[in-house]
Amino acid sequence: MTNLLSTTVNRNNNVTLVDALDKVLEKGAVINGDIVIQVADVDLVFLGLRLILTSISKAEEVSGKSFSDPDKELTAEDMEYIKRLQGEIKRAEENIPKLIDLGNPKKTEQGLAKLVLTLIELIRKLMEKEAFRRVKRGTLSSVEIQKLGLSLKAVKKKIKEVQTIFGIEDEELNLDLGPLGNLM
Amino acid sequence: MDGLYLYCLREKTKNSPTISSKGIDGDGEVFVLAYRQLEAVVSKVCFEEFGSDDIFKKAQEDLNWIKEKALAHEKIIEQAMRKDNKVLSLIPMRFGTIFKNKARLEESLNKDYCKIQEVLERIQSKQEWSIKLYLKDKEKFEKMIKEKNEAIKKKEQELASLPEGIAFFMEEELRETIAEEVDKELSTTMDVLFEGLKKQSVDSVRNKVLEKELTGRFEPMVLNAAYLVSEEKVENFTEVVEDLKQEMQAQGFCLEYSGPWPGFNFSSYENHD
Repeated sequence: MTNLLSTTVNRNNNVTLVDALDKVLEKGAVINGDIVIQVADVDLVFLGLRLILTSISKAEEVSGKSFSDPDKELTAEDMEYIKRLQGEIKRAEENIPKLIDLGNPKKTEQGLAKLVLTLIELIRKLMEKEAFRRVKRGTLSSVEIQKLGLSLKAVKKKIKEVQTIFGIEDEELNLDLGPLGNLM
Repeated sequence: MDGLYLYCLREKTKNSPTISSKGIDGDGEVFVLAYRQLEAVVSKVCFEEFGSDDIFKKAQEDLNWIKEKALAHEKIIEQAMRKDNKVLSLIPMRFGTIFKNKARLEESLNKDYCKIQEVLERIQSKQEWSIKLYLKDKEKFEKMIKEKNEAIKKKEQELASLPEGIAFFMEEELRETIAEEVDKELSTTMDVLFEGLKKQSVDSVRNKVLEKELTGRFEPMVLNAAYLVSEEKVENFTEVVEDLKQEMQAQGFCLEYSGPWPGFNFSSYENHD
């Protein structure tokens, strides 16, 4: 019997917590018990758990105390404490940008800029698609193609420039339309 | 009234260490029920907490409850898997199976007895290991593909001599071609890796990759696999994986492996009513 059989590899971090939950909730043998606790839509449950995990690690940073000590069980008091910290963090998180923005006129406009840029980006993409269609149809002269291409490129660069001024990332240029999903 | 929560099934053992963790309810003692050649690892649970209809609601709504209980479930199986320096083969149950009493549990074990024995025999002296890959540096991987793809290289040279406006359209097209090529190459690379490791194992499963939101990582997961490895080959397996890890790192990937896990991916048995 080699020693390796008793060693455990990479099993004490947060990543494996996700792993463990994934296995327990979705895999393993199913047997017909008198009661079987159903966890419907594991993905959704998981997503929620992920959020909880993230907020716990945030609470750790703030308190300098680790909640992930494997030998320590969470008591009701601990949970209460975490909840309170989460509340504190949330309040602070909401307040910090307001404070920073006071000294930065560009940033105060960021919300509006994001919205406007998102719509411009949408129109740009639609134009680009149309332009591609026409280029492929072969009805445009090469000068026209050249002009069209340059215009599109200019708009694209301009959008990037404005993005930089306001500190907006590419992924941020989108709108959540709720039940319709994302705009782009 | 009390019910029995079932964690896992294993072959009858001699002098197995007692499981020190408290049961799923945070209070009950975890103990072993012997049945013919089997052992069921169980703890008593109160029907007030686990038996009412409220439990379904709780399972859907209270995520902290689920997290706490699911981790307790895993931890107990983990302990049941260890004896001295050995890893015992066992059949881990999915979260949340409860019997009204010992007689009902035995009834169920009796009904599936042959199948359970078959599974235990199949996984005897074998361990489950997890392999996950993340695409850490997409640019690195993309660059590698561009360098070995002649068609892309030729297109890029053509582009350089075209007027800027016309080049714009070709650039966009080329970008799409490259993205397609990257996807194709990525999928092939993962297939090859997954298939290649099969040789080191007796069974394997390729699970769906987890979303970024679930893993909490910035880089996307590109492979989520589990392997069943013979005890005597585990050392060899981890060596091969360790080499692969280096190799994949050079291509922009991050490989993570962990184990041994209870055989969640390899111990299900068909259940007929």
